[in-house]
Amino acid sequence: MESGKIEKLLELYDEGKTSLAEEKILREYFLNQEVPEHLRSYQLIFMFSAKQKNETMEKAPKVRSNKARKNWQSWASIAAILIVALGVFYFNDTSQVLNENDLGTISDEELALEKTKETLNMVSQLMNEGTADLAYLKEFNKTKNKIIEID
Amino acid sequence: MKEHNFLNIINPVKDKMYRLALRLLTSKEAAEDATQEVILKLWSRKEKIKHYANIEAFAMTVTKNYCLDQLKSKQNSHLRIVHQNYQNHGPSLQSEVELSDEMDWLQKIVETLPEQQKMIFQLRDIEQYDYEEIAEIMEMNQTAIRVALSRARKAIRENLIKKHNYGIR
Repeated sequence: MESGKIEKLLELYDEGKTSLAEEKILREYFLNQEVPEHLRSYQLIFMFSAKQKNETMEKAPKVRSNKARKNWQSWASIAAILIVALGVFYFNDTSQVLNENDLGTISDEELALEKTKETLNMVSQLMNEGTADLAYLKEFNKTKNKIIEID
Repeated sequence: MKEHNFLNIINPVKDKMYRLALRLLTSKEAAEDATQEVILKLWSRKEKIKHYANIEAFAMTVTKNYCLDQLKSKQNSHLRIVHQNYQNHGPSLQSEVELSDEMDWLQKIVETLPEQQKMIFQLRDIEQYDYEEIAEIMEMNQTAIRVALSRARKAIRENLIKKHNYGIR
């Protein structure tokens, strides 16, 4: 093909006005023969485009596997939460039952009252012994009054 | 739609989707992941897809949007895409080495184009879609696409010539 026609097409090509058929003519021209030096840049671009078209995806696309794994994971997490929750409830229940069994070892009510009184008395006695030691604090107040005179 | 039918529709398009993703994301791994993600998205919407007139254009649009989202999220987290497309160039003749050098240069030049021009150049000059389909994929009007394509073509050639003269002058 004469280079005059090619150059006219190239002008249109630069303006983005060529049709696919015209671009095909250009592509065949540049890929199949020697071109004049001033058109070398066009040739490189067409070679680049042609080469890029050979790039293919190596991995085959999958439709199922990823999704299946996601589903499996979500069900597993739900099951795990259920197991933990049920486990916590189960152990809480048994410990409460044990505590209730421990209570009420004395069945006679009067005896229970006596025992309670005894225990409370013992507690108050011990309390009084403790407070008796606090009497020494008064000594501190006395000495303080000697040193600091108010008014 | 059965899985088998779906793959029959997708297989001829998947390389085009991959190449568009590669043009935008640069890294081969990222492009493969993106294509796979988009195919899964399409599969999950398979009942609706049946009613689209042009499934190929729709698949390309989804790919484009997915890749732009990826780029946006990468930019937001201040991450640069690191790619390791190592290739084993076997022993080759001097002229072939020179040619592959030119091709690498063109690759770099195309990478510097704005995303929109990159995509339109990819769709027109590499995948050879007609303007109507590009308009559908890019969700733009045809005049705007012609303008962007013209800019992209001129920019690529100017950069190439600049690079060539650099050694001489």
